[in-house]
Amino acid sequence: MDVRDTFVLDGHIVDSLILPKVLDLVLDAGCDYELIDVEIGRSPTDTSRAVLQVTAPDEATLAAVAEQLRVQGANPATVDDATTHPAPADGVAPADFCATTNLDTEVRIGGRWVPADRAEMDCVLVVGADERVTTTPLHRIRSGDRVVVGAAGVRVRPADRPRAAAGFEFMDSEVSSEKPKATQLRALAGRMRAVRDEGGSILVVAGPVVIHTGGGPPLARLVRAGWVQTLFAGNGFATHDVESAVMGTSLGVSVASGQGTEGGHSNHLRVINEVRRHGSIAAAVASGWLTDGVMHALVTTGVPFVLGGSVRDDGPLPDTITDVVATADRMRDEVAGVRLALMLASTLHAVATGNVLPAAVETFCVDINPSVVTKLGDRGSHQAHGIVTDVGPFLALLADELGA
Amino acid sequence: MPAGDLTWGRRFLCCAPVHFGVVYEINPWMHAEVAVDVDRARAQWETLVATLRAAGAVVETIEQPEGVPDLVFTANAGIVSGERFVPSHFRHPPRRPETEVFATWFARHGFSVERLPDDAVHEGAGDALPFGADRSGGRPVLLSGYRYRSEATAAVPIGAATGAVVRPIELVDERLYHLDLTFCPLDERRAMAAPLGWDRYGIRVVEELVPEPLWLSDEEALAFTANSVVVGTTIVMPHVPPAVGRRLEAWGFDPVAVDVGEFLKAGGACRCLTLALDVDLRAG
Repeated sequence: MDVRDTFVLDGHIVDSLILPKVLDLVLDAGCDYELIDVEIGRSPTDTSRAVLQVTAPDEATLAAVAEQLRVQGANPATVDDATTHPAPADGVAPADFCATTNLDTEVRIGGRWVPADRAEMDCVLVVGADERVTTTPLHRIRSGDRVVVGAAGVRVRPADRPRAAAGFEFMDSEVSSEKPKATQLRALAGRMRAVRDEGGSILVVAGPVVIHTGGGPPLARLVRAGWVQTLFAGNGFATHDVESAVMGTSLGVSVASGQGTEGGHSNHLRVINEVRRHGSIAAAVASGWLTDGVMHALVTTGVPFVLGGSVRDDGPLPDTITDVVATADRMRDEVAGVRLALMLASTLHAVATGNVLPAAVETFCVDINPSVVTKLGDRGSHQAHGIVTDVGPFLALLADELGA
Repeated sequence: MPAGDLTWGRRFLCCAPVHFGVVYEINPWMHAEVAVDVDRARAQWETLVATLRAAGAVVETIEQPEGVPDLVFTANAGIVSGERFVPSHFRHPPRRPETEVFATWFARHGFSVERLPDDAVHEGAGDALPFGADRSGGRPVLLSGYRYRSEATAAVPIGAATGAVVRPIELVDERLYHLDLTFCPLDERRAMAAPLGWDRYGIRVVEELVPEPLWLSDEEALAFTANSVVVGTTIVMPHVPPAVGRRLEAWGFDPVAVDVGEFLKAGGACRCLTLALDVDLRAG
């Protein structure tokens, strides 16, 4: 387990070669450093100042390096404990609350750095009576909760690059349709294998276009072969998946022939009505009415799914959660353990999922429209890699590549 | 540049060895079982002071009270800059009482006494010698040794108190525990330098700073050759190694050996027994 500490070095540290010496010492000890802040004096009277964060493989190495750095005049940065103020009311944070990012966060309490329970952007940090730190969305705050205010005593750990990052460098440039799809596909499959081998979970976020473009059957294959541990979608995805499984159409259009069908415009409503009659998708599967498709695969393999409703939904399906706050809370519960997220032709659910995902989760966004990846990045999910392609055929190739 | 153009080294503070002796061991040269010949020490000190005066220096003296045997090593009193005196904060407890003795003398002699922060550890001119100027701004550079007796962090308050650009270099040989055992400014371009005492970073710093270094061999360094006092063109040395003497003479200096053998028993030589009072580290 890597351990970190921050050191401050003052003086004419450039001319005296103390700064390069300190950096060499850190590397020679098998540690790594990040220069958090360097102020080089502009005139000879000005001294310079460097703040460096040292990462060591263990506490003993860190202590040994700290002793060496102390001799060179680099002292651990004195950091005050975080300040907390009580929440004035349920669902209300005190003014000046510290807003979280999606990076792993630690809070200084009683001279110790305590890691927050999880990383989620746009939340507050609540310090419990047991001094545990909980990343809390505004609506979950209870009156009197000790909420961290200001930036003092709070630090974030920069996201670690995935160990196989080298293979992904081509994905880190601008999102573009002009990328070799086969290479991207193989690289994605490689990451999915690596995550599964290490016991991590894979989350799929799917939009209805997956079904419209014929991606339903390969996605169902991936679910059945154990490549999906959680699925987030909306009422539309589930509806069209069930529609295509039961009636062979998606929004009334034959999935096999691409032709419109007589009275097809109401197919999805009739499907919703049947599921409502059964009481749930699981009940529809149990009765033998629903025998195929992605939702069927999820129910029969026991993979959890969260269907988030929206104001334009038809029906909705009984499984669709119509309270958006409750939906987000369900999603929060399900992302624990997720190491890789696959956003498939979904804009709104992808952004919603990005909001609750730690930055450390490898995120791949497959969409024919490059703007979805940009949108995710603009909303803070900078870890997202984009694969600009038609999702249906891509899923078929991915399922083949993974032997699903 | 002619030899003898060092801007300081005409006025010194010395302390006659009245209560001198090796009564504790804080460097590898000190052995409490080795007795100091008090009379011989006094005679050696008198010769040193007479030699400095003969070279043209003014020597002022401070009285040695009992209980501070190392007060004779006035180089460790502190750092002088113009009318300002920054007293040392000693690493080892037996030397700490010296601070107030020196501070009192300087206050009585018209200096303003500028204190270091309590947690700063630095042993004065023993670990800080001026040489040249900063390239960009022409401000005096104070080369400062750290590790055994002084701490690198003291560089910042010393720079603030004196006005000098302080360049700390690490001392890496415990036998050369003070900077003044490894470095001796000779004039504006030249200095004796003992690389044995420094790591590769320190050597590079000195190479950058000193246009014409006189590199001392390890044997010369361990014989305290660098612990010499420069008074114009006269260089008062604990001994003169032949190669060093020839080089100094070729540069126009006059090396003079003064036996300070009794003081070597405490790990100090000529420079340690003097503190230049005419150093000015303010720009200009």
